[in-house]
Amino acid sequence: MIESLPLFPVYVVDFVGALMTAVFSLIAFFYARRLTILQPKSVLWTYMFWFSMALVALAVSRGVGHTVRFVLLYMGLPHIWKDIAPFSGGLNTITFTSVAVLTFYYSNVRDVIDRVKDDAEALYEANLRLQSAQEALRRLNQNLEQMVEERTRELRQSEKKFRGLFEGSKDMIFFCNNKHVIEDINPSGVELLGFKSREEVIGKPFSKFFKDKKQWKMFRDEICEKGHIKDIEAELVRPDGSTRYVILTISVMKDENGNTWGCEGIGKDITKMKQVTESLIQSEKMASVGQLAAGVAHEINTPLGIILGYAQLLEEECAKNPDALESLQIIEKQTKICKRIVGDLLKFSRSSSDSDITDVDINECIKEVLAVTEHSLNMDRIYVHRNLEDNLPRIKGKKEKLRQVIINLLNNAHHAIGNEGIIGIWTEYDQDNDEIRVIIGDNGTGIPPEIQNKIFDPFFTTKSVGKGTGLGLSVSFGIIKDHGGYIEAQSPPKEKRFIDAGMETVMIIHLPVNTQL
Amino acid sequence: MEFGKNLLKTVPTGLLIALLLMPSPAHAVQIHGPPEGFVVHMMGHIFFASALIFLIYILHKYPLDNRPAWKYFKVSIFFWLIWNLDTFLVHILSVRLPKEAIVTGSHLVHSRLKGPFDFERLMFYFGKFDHFLCVPAMYCLAMSLKDFCKQVEEQLETVDPSDHII
Repeated sequence: MIESLPLFPVYVVDFVGALMTAVFSLIAFFYARRLTILQPKSVLWTYMFWFSMALVALAVSRGVGHTVRFVLLYMGLPHIWKDIAPFSGGLNTITFTSVAVLTFYYSNVRDVIDRVKDDAEALYEANLRLQSAQEALRRLNQNLEQMVEERTRELRQSEKKFRGLFEGSKDMIFFCNNKHVIEDINPSGVELLGFKSREEVIGKPFSKFFKDKKQWKMFRDEICEKGHIKDIEAELVRPDGSTRYVILTISVMKDENGNTWGCEGIGKDITKMKQVTESLIQSEKMASVGQLAAGVAHEINTPLGIILGYAQLLEEECAKNPDALESLQIIEKQTKICKRIVGDLLKFSRSSSDSDITDVDINECIKEVLAVTEHSLNMDRIYVHRNLEDNLPRIKGKKEKLRQVIINLLNNAHHAIGNEGIIGIWTEYDQDNDEIRVIIGDNGTGIPPEIQNKIFDPFFTTKSVGKGTGLGLSVSFGIIKDHGGYIEAQSPPKEKRFIDAGMETVMIIHLPVNTQL
Repeated sequence: MEFGKNLLKTVPTGLLIALLLMPSPAHAVQIHGPPEGFVVHMMGHIFFASALIFLIYILHKYPLDNRPAWKYFKVSIFFWLIWNLDTFLVHILSVRLPKEAIVTGSHLVHSRLKGPFDFERLMFYFGKFDHFLCVPAMYCLAMSLKDFCKQVEEQLETVDPSDHII
């Protein structure tokens, strides 16, 4: 039976064990410290650091405590150890309490970290999804950009095509808003309406250009009622007062809801065609009048010759009867006047072979006429300005007849001026149409618009009775027609140079250079 | 008049000084007697043990990996827990041990634990060798941290250190 057990082995184990614990705790502290240096943001290493720190404190406290106790007891001073022991025990309590607190605290932190981590992962996944969505969006955007680019290109081509049609069309194309105010118009339209730039036309009501406002109201009502008008002839007025005949086709424009927001229209200039048509009608009229006149003249010519013959015979027989002789002379004179009129009618109506066809120099022809007539013009203070182009080609024609035409036109100009004025004569060669143009203008009273289409009619005259027969222009027209050309009257002149020269009326003779007479 | 004013100032000041110089017992500070330190120490052991059990539970619930570092750490925790229970038991037994059971003698070498050696006294004697538990516990902790260090150093060779937050 063992009575007692030695406590010395306990003290030795305490002493050595305390030293070893202290050494291992310092090693642990070293590695914990190194971990916090390597990864300062790690919560685990921070926990480990403070965990080992607390255990180092415990180990050192216990180690020191046991060593001191061992030494003091060995030295036989147990009362000193009794005084120190509570401090050692208290320090030990604090150290492992600290370890416990850190452990519980770390767990909570760990939970928080886990939550943060979960949130971070969720955020990361959300970020990945966002990146994926962004990529899809980028691809979609790229496709969209390509589609937009393609559509834009197509639209540009379409725009270019229609813009080319709009800008290059020789017909007037215009767009109006629902108040019939012009919003856009092509260059041909600008020119047709007599303006210089598009900006001058835009903003003007379309009705402003109609000569007959009632006609516009009628068109407008028809557009509102039917939605369009088609191939309607209208007379438009330009700012300079001149007019243009156009064929109009106008359609209303509607939006997707069927509301009218404006109209679009095309206008074809038919002024020239109308003039040509009128000229043709005139020609036909002149031809028919000419035929009639030729028949009448032929029928009258023979009785007139007989009347003249008998009148001259009676004059010989009544030489001694002055009263009868005077009456017979009057008959003879008037008969001769009638014969001259009939002669003129015959000249107008048929191609005469009175003169031979030769190569005619128009300038020379004009100079010859002026040599005869200029003196009488100057007597009335009318002066002739010559603008004769050199080296005009010669034409095949009847010189005498052409000279007569020029005389007629100069006479008319003289009549239009009366006293004191200017007559201008221009000659020029138009290479494009291969024709010579002779322009005879005056600064006289001009031709009123209402008689402009009658001036070539036979017997139409503005001169007082006895001064003119009304056949001068008709005969001239016939002569020029025989030469394959035509006469055009402009009052006022269309070309600026004639206006600048002070001309009120110009008669333009068009003579083709190469023609078969 | 002037005297009245001075009197009004002097009397309250004098009363205040008299009250400060003659305080009555406040009984505000609690006195902690000798058994409280022992109780606090024992509560500390319980707190420490519960923390270690909690840590073991956490490591069991959220297993990390099978590297030696965590194995060392778990062993260390286990030894600390056994050590904690051992010292707790020894503290209780030392209180229950009669004073005459320990004979210090004239020298430390002659100190002895007297019988009769029943279970409680034997437990006390062998329980006193607690360093057989805390030295391996601290050793395992040191080894665990060393392996953690190695692991982190390997990791840092390839990964940005700021990525690691746990």
